[in-house]
Amino acid sequence: MSSAQMEDQSQNQSVKCTEIGGSERDSENNMSSSTSRFDYYDPISPWALDIGGSLIKLVYFSREDNSLENYLGKSVAAENTGVLNGCTTHPVLNGQLHFAKFETTKINECLDFIESKQILGSCGRHQEVSGGKTLTIKATGGGAYKFANLFKEKFGVRLDKEDEMDCLVAGANFLLKAVPHEAFTYLDNRKEFVQIDPNDLFPYLLVNIGSGVSMIKVDGDGQFQRVSGTSIGGGTFWGLGRLLTKCQSFDELLELSHRGNNRVIDMLVGDIYGGLDYSKVSKIGLSATAIASSFGKAISDKKELQDYKPEDIARSLLRLISNNIGQIAYLNALLHGLKRIIFGGFFIRGHEYTMDTISVAVQFWSKGEAKAMFLRHEGFLGALGAFKSYEKHGFGGLMVDHLAEQTPIVSPRPHPNQKVNGPFTEELADNESIDCSVLSVETLKLT
Amino acid sequence: MAGLVGNPVLGNDDLKGEVVVAINEGRKFEGTRSGTEEGREKDMAPAAGSPIHRSGSRPQLDVSGAAIQGNSEERDPTILLPNQSDDISHLALDIGGSLIKLVYFSRHEGKPIEDKRKLSLKQRFGITNGNRRSYPILGGRLHFVKFETSKVNECLDFIKSKQLHCGGMNPRRWPSHSLPNENVVVKATGGGAYKFADLFKERLGVSLDKEDEMDCLVAGANFLLKAIRHEAFTHMEGQKEFVQIDQNDLFPYLLVNIGSGVSMIKVDGDGKFQRVSGTNVGGGTYWGLGKLLTKCNSFDELLELSQRGDNRTIDMLVGDIYGGMDYSKIGLSASTIASSFGKTISEDKEVEDYKPEDISLSLLRMISYNIGQISYLNALRFGLKRIFFGGFFIRGHAYTMDTISFAVHFWSKGNAKAMFLRHEGFLGALGAFMSYEKHGLDDLMVHQLVERFPMGAPYVGGKIHGPPLGDLNEKISWMEKFVQKGTEITAPVPMTPPGTTGLGGFEVPLSRGDTLRPDASNLNVGVLHLVPTLDVFPLLADPKIYEPNTIDLSDHGELEYWFSVLSEHLPDLVDKAVASEGGTDDAKRRGDAFARAFSAHLARLMEEPAAYGKLGLANLLELREECLREFQFTDAYRSIKQRENEASLAVLADLLMELDSMPEEARLCSLIEGVLAANIFDWGSRACVDLYHKGTIIEIYRMSRKKMQRPWRVDDFDMFKERMLGSDGRKPPPYRRALLFVDNSGADIVLGMLPLARELLRRGTEVVLVANSLPALNDVTAMEVPDIVAEAAKNCDILRRAAEAGGLLVDAMINIQDGSKLDSPSVPALMVVENGCGSPCIDLRQVSSELAAAAKDADLIILEGMGRAIHTNFNARFKCDALKLAMVKNQRLAENLLKGNIYDCVCRFEPSSI
Repeated sequence: MSSAQMEDQSQNQSVKCTEIGGSERDSENNMSSSTSRFDYYDPISPWALDIGGSLIKLVYFSREDNSLENYLGKSVAAENTGVLNGCTTHPVLNGQLHFAKFETTKINECLDFIESKQILGSCGRHQEVSGGKTLTIKATGGGAYKFANLFKEKFGVRLDKEDEMDCLVAGANFLLKAVPHEAFTYLDNRKEFVQIDPNDLFPYLLVNIGSGVSMIKVDGDGQFQRVSGTSIGGGTFWGLGRLLTKCQSFDELLELSHRGNNRVIDMLVGDIYGGLDYSKVSKIGLSATAIASSFGKAISDKKELQDYKPEDIARSLLRLISNNIGQIAYLNALLHGLKRIIFGGFFIRGHEYTMDTISVAVQFWSKGEAKAMFLRHEGFLGALGAFKSYEKHGFGGLMVDHLAEQTPIVSPRPHPNQKVNGPFTEELADNESIDCSVLSVETLKLT
Repeated sequence: MAGLVGNPVLGNDDLKGEVVVAINEGRKFEGTRSGTEEGREKDMAPAAGSPIHRSGSRPQLDVSGAAIQGNSEERDPTILLPNQSDDISHLALDIGGSLIKLVYFSRHEGKPIEDKRKLSLKQRFGITNGNRRSYPILGGRLHFVKFETSKVNECLDFIKSKQLHCGGMNPRRWPSHSLPNENVVVKATGGGAYKFADLFKERLGVSLDKEDEMDCLVAGANFLLKAIRHEAFTHMEGQKEFVQIDQNDLFPYLLVNIGSGVSMIKVDGDGKFQRVSGTNVGGGTYWGLGKLLTKCNSFDELLELSQRGDNRTIDMLVGDIYGGMDYSKIGLSASTIASSFGKTISEDKEVEDYKPEDISLSLLRMISYNIGQISYLNALRFGLKRIFFGGFFIRGHAYTMDTISFAVHFWSKGNAKAMFLRHEGFLGALGAFMSYEKHGLDDLMVHQLVERFPMGAPYVGGKIHGPPLGDLNEKISWMEKFVQKGTEITAPVPMTPPGTTGLGGFEVPLSRGDTLRPDASNLNVGVLHLVPTLDVFPLLADPKIYEPNTIDLSDHGELEYWFSVLSEHLPDLVDKAVASEGGTDDAKRRGDAFARAFSAHLARLMEEPAAYGKLGLANLLELREECLREFQFTDAYRSIKQRENEASLAVLADLLMELDSMPEEARLCSLIEGVLAANIFDWGSRACVDLYHKGTIIEIYRMSRKKMQRPWRVDDFDMFKERMLGSDGRKPPPYRRALLFVDNSGADIVLGMLPLARELLRRGTEVVLVANSLPALNDVTAMEVPDIVAEAAKNCDILRRAAEAGGLLVDAMINIQDGSKLDSPSVPALMVVENGCGSPCIDLRQVSSELAAAAKDADLIILEGMGRAIHTNFNARFKCDALKLAMVKNQRLAENLLKGNIYDCVCRFEPSSI
């Protein structure tokens, strides 16, 4: 059974990848998860999708406790099984929540994965159970519209489109409330986990950096408002970066930016004042190394595009975009009196320099009063939210205590620099096997 | 005498004494147009004369001064106050990476003519330095010139040719060897102030004194926003709208300067500001990224490209993500950009596969939008209601302004508006200019500035200025050469001009985008004329909401109509102008050049109505007069005016006799009728010009009188009559002082307004005839009125005694001894003041200080004629009673404004609105 194999594999790998979670806790989780088995598939669709412009995020659930059959059979009324939460009447299943990513352009890999995991099996079964009724799968992201027919054809499932923003917020709320050490700050190469009191979580600003950027003021579960956004986001980084560097993938571009030096391309404050008038510079509170104009040096030189190192370009671009997002986010937080700014979305990808730049921007503009926070599951907010939108999943009241985490990585050769997610670059292309097309799988074990 | 009429302003006994001296000296009345009296008056008014002199006693409004027009630019400025001139520096620079901006000040050659009439007026109205603020500045002009930084030598040549680096010294008076050049310091800002310091030292011998950029920006913006009426404008969806900002309600505001990077400055007052924010994504980013992606060679080329672009091939729109649907829940339309450059992700294209146009546009939108957003957020954060955008990135580029405006509008949900400045490129240079300690421009008021657009304006289209055109001859030659270059002769301003215009060698964009509106939005920056003696007319009910123009030329149909009216009238005007200068070859050459220049102005304004700022009909009519003066046609209608005055004066006596025989009520009606009938003479009206060919003016006047029939189209006569004569046996008190704004020469003033003035005088009302300072069409000027009055007074005691009382007739040449002279103190005075304008219309926010002074005691205003009562001021409200009289000599205007017909009359009486 391929899924079981995978699970095993992931457990094996999780040891090697301890830097991912970075905590002992992970290994503990791995231990506990070793008991898990997929011997039953939840007829209530156990998976949800977030189909974005560049990535497909998949969240699926596997149960390990078939005592829940009662619950499933009786549907709503069953209260006595599973872990009862003090706040809600919903029973909670024991099981594991898995996270996987695919490139949108390689949607077939995603379809194959779904097939291989036999998540679909549940669908088939469900169809029988429900007597010809088409199964609906919760999905969000623009692609939920675009690829609706493909899913229909392939699996006979209907994608039920969930509002993107609803999903994002639901996902973030879930993570922040239920997953221990989900949020962290990142500054000067130091990652610091922040434990947020679930009772003092709201309101906060959620900045989701996908292709574009949405800034959402979250006041509570289901209570939120999109207050701002910017079109300069991950898509801009990748789009402009592709044009400027001929990189073949987003991650390659990110990787390049590591090695670059933005001073070659950006006009710094020091470049303008040439050290002549630092008193004036300090008067306006800018250090000589502050960027005065992104790409501003590309003006005066006689150089062509080819004369610049792609690394330097990638670095400048990354700083431009991260800086800008950090600034706009801070201004919005300030205007709405929000003390926390949480950044998520695929642009970040746990990339240190990105997080660092955003953090610096927030710190700079707030004069140290605000801090940027990031989420470990940042890429999966939408998918998680979609997953949560199933009415009877019973996750509503999950608290931190109920969740333990495993972070196995399925990818055969995790890149040493990638912390949270496995790479999905050349290495993937090398490997033809289906299992390896899985970008990364994390699991959240529900105890 | 004046004091007895109850002028509360008069408090200076010494001055009154001098009036008596001046009058009793009994010098011959010589008219006022001669400048030879200058010396004498100086002798005459030693104590008071000097301060009056200093106060800039309106030299620029005298005919000989020719100050308002631009033709004396090339002459060496005369230094009226040599001991002050050392302090006044005349040049400041902002040397940026791509452009050099230069602001310089030139004092015009003003000859203060203090004739006795003016002296007596000054004393009568209490115009002294004491009761007004003193003027540290002299009248002069602020010029704005741009050069490309790469052509810095052109800039140096320009400065040299204008002798600007000599601190404005008259070289003849101050030989260069007596003025060691190494002491000359010129204020400069911008990065190039360092870079080119040596070059300036070497070539011009001047040291550049570097001023802080931010200080200069703020000082420049503050000056512009306070001193120029329609400096700021909004730009939404291609529409410019000028915004009038209350000087007292300017601060705080956010100034966003978009250079290579972007600075956001919160300005709280003069010299009080703080850089609150900024972004590193600015003009440099646009140009830098653009250069890498498109291989454009200049910023302007890149901007130009953007006009033909379509960003949908590059940007990921909301619709792309949602399959063409809006994401209405959060208010994003399908065309909203979700991700700038987001589409260049997924496809397998390379840079070369995208059109540079599209890339440029996406880049422009991305950056403009971002700047707009961050600016708005900062404005909100500091509670600033106004955001002004400036800096080289904008360059009057319509799409850039639109995008920024859109962003601000979008994020503020319409609550905030982005504003732009007409002089945006010159903020730094102006600020550097302001940093001279003794420029005296600090408290210059908006009403003391007049902006003029010289001949070259339409050709340069708001772009870079080129080599200076020296004298008139050079101007004409340039104009001729230009016309030869362009193959067309009838329309000298080609809409797609040849590559270079000769004014600096820049190229005018030839192509316009299909997807975007034409970008003709570069705004011209004119020459700022500083006229310290202009004032706001004090009787305006509310100067803040006063708008002189009745006709809004932002309506395109209206604009087209008036343009065609002016174009059709042009040949006739040129004929008159050439004839007025003796019809010589030189006059013909100038006449042709004038026609071309004015047509060019019209064409430019047709293309971009906001090119010269807010455009009203009055501005257009004034532009024509200015243009005439620029080609040294000082008075195109001189001989016509003389002829008509003589013909009318000849029949005045008969008219007065006829009027005197009437009973009071009929006489008043007949007088108003006479004013309306005589107002038919107007060389600005095509219909009237046709009439002239059919008969003599007296015939026309008679015909016009016969056709008069009440009720007029607007007929408040009964109201006016009641105020004048009373009803039910009650007799109202007479008006104390009436201001009569007169219109045309000839019958209009002689047979219309003078008899009305006489009636008022007879009833005990002091009368001030308000006439133009400079000629405009056949309008009578303040210089001409005294002659006319003197002539009329020969046959009329009332006029004579009043004129004597008013100081108009200063000698005893009229030998009618009827004893009335003894009780002359009881005679109300007849006076003449100039209005400060040289236009057929009048903007009451900028009138001469003597008119402002005369207005203080006035309780009746009579505005006469189309220009002053219809085209402008038709809707104006006053603090005192106002009577607006005019015959409408334009069918369209009659239809639109009055729902009437050509030759309909307006007699509108509006009691004081206070």
